[in-house]
Amino acid sequence: MDINAFIDYTLLNSTATERDIVNLCHKALNNNYYAVCINSCYVPLAKQLLNKTPVKICSVVGFPLGAMSTKAKAFEAQKAIENGADEIEMVINLGLLKSKNYIGLLKDIYDVKMAINHKPLKVIIEIGELSKNEIIKACEICLDANANYIKTSTGFAHGGATFTAIKIIKKTVKDDIKIVASGGINDFETAAKYIQLGVHRIGATQELKATKPSLVKEIL
Amino acid sequence: MKSLNKFIDHTLLKATATQKDIITLCKEAIRHDFFSVCINSCYVSLAKEQLKNTPVKICSVIGFPLGTMSTQSKVCETEKAIQDGADEIDMVMNVGFLKNKDYDAVLKDIEAVKHIMPNQTLKVILETCYLEPDEILKASELAIDGGADYIKTSTGFGTRGASFEDIKLMKQVAKETTKIKASGGIKDAETALKYINLGVQRLGTSSGIAIVNGETSDSNH
Repeated sequence: MDINAFIDYTLLNSTATERDIVNLCHKALNNNYYAVCINSCYVPLAKQLLNKTPVKICSVVGFPLGAMSTKAKAFEAQKAIENGADEIEMVINLGLLKSKNYIGLLKDIYDVKMAINHKPLKVIIEIGELSKNEIIKACEICLDANANYIKTSTGFAHGGATFTAIKIIKKTVKDDIKIVASGGINDFETAAKYIQLGVHRIGATQELKATKPSLVKEIL
Repeated sequence: MKSLNKFIDHTLLKATATQKDIITLCKEAIRHDFFSVCINSCYVSLAKEQLKNTPVKICSVIGFPLGTMSTQSKVCETEKAIQDGADEIDMVMNVGFLKNKDYDAVLKDIEAVKHIMPNQTLKVILETCYLEPDEILKASELAIDGGADYIKTSTGFGTRGASFEDIKLMKQVAKETTKIKASGGIKDAETALKYINLGVQRLGTSSGIAIVNGETSDSNH
């Protein structure tokens, strides 16, 4: 199994330049990563670079707070797809979740899903800000909204993915939604452990290190 | 001179802020007669309900806090915020484009937003923590050329908030024609007054109540 094929290679810093995005795309091509994950202002540039290659483009939306109006999220998503994105990663509206405004929360996700037709929608639930019950609720709402993936973290808040959170998510969504683990995954062993837990994609901001290749073989 | 409370944009931008938190923020703004509340765009209509028939204005952030949304999306978010009742817009400049020295793209990003809100106040956040002094000067120029009514230092989500040095640099470019908003890390009256003495016309802070009461806040947001 090639772990690189699980990787969304990610650069979301506000100071990222065109040159940084070019480097990101080249590395993704050389390492056969699944996708690059970038801010929506850089989708046209990434499309130029990755056109006719197998590397997909994933644009974040409402990033990283998720507190944009629903209409603006849907528009940002639609525009990103028009500009060449293959997938959308939106941040859930954490304030509405904490307000227990589940109708508002569902509509926020559903409207984005509608705006991007049949393209894959990943919903970042920002587990570092959530209690166990809130993680379960967020997963249920993603199920209702027909999201395709649940992603653990933006990388801009407290904490990244944890094995515990992945188990909670997996138990709630079963095989109906795929899972992206992100935040703090820096080596192949950790990535392999997440994959073993049923994760379908790994968000990584740097090339993974191989500290114990034999262990990876054993796990997979 | 206007009183201290009227310099304050009473601010709550953290992702986990609930509807109840926003209602409290609005009530506090009315009680202390702050200039405005500064909030995320998903809460503008809620704030509008709360602040109807009061003098407190509504300020919505746009492309916040990274500034890396596509220009068209910033425009759409602005349009919707104004429709929902926002009086002022605080947009984040595209810092990546500035670092590319793609000044035309930086300018167009700002112009496109100003174009759809000619009658409302536009503040452009430079996010000075990521900028060298010469970049602060350039960013200020571009924001003003793009139609900014205010240039603003910080989102509060970067590596630091406003500094007195930032303001001095921004003032060189803004002169008396463009206003300046200092934001990020302003937690007591003494600091607030120092900024005002440097020529700042607005303060973005979540510690407004402590500031007008002459206390020091321990708030981080």
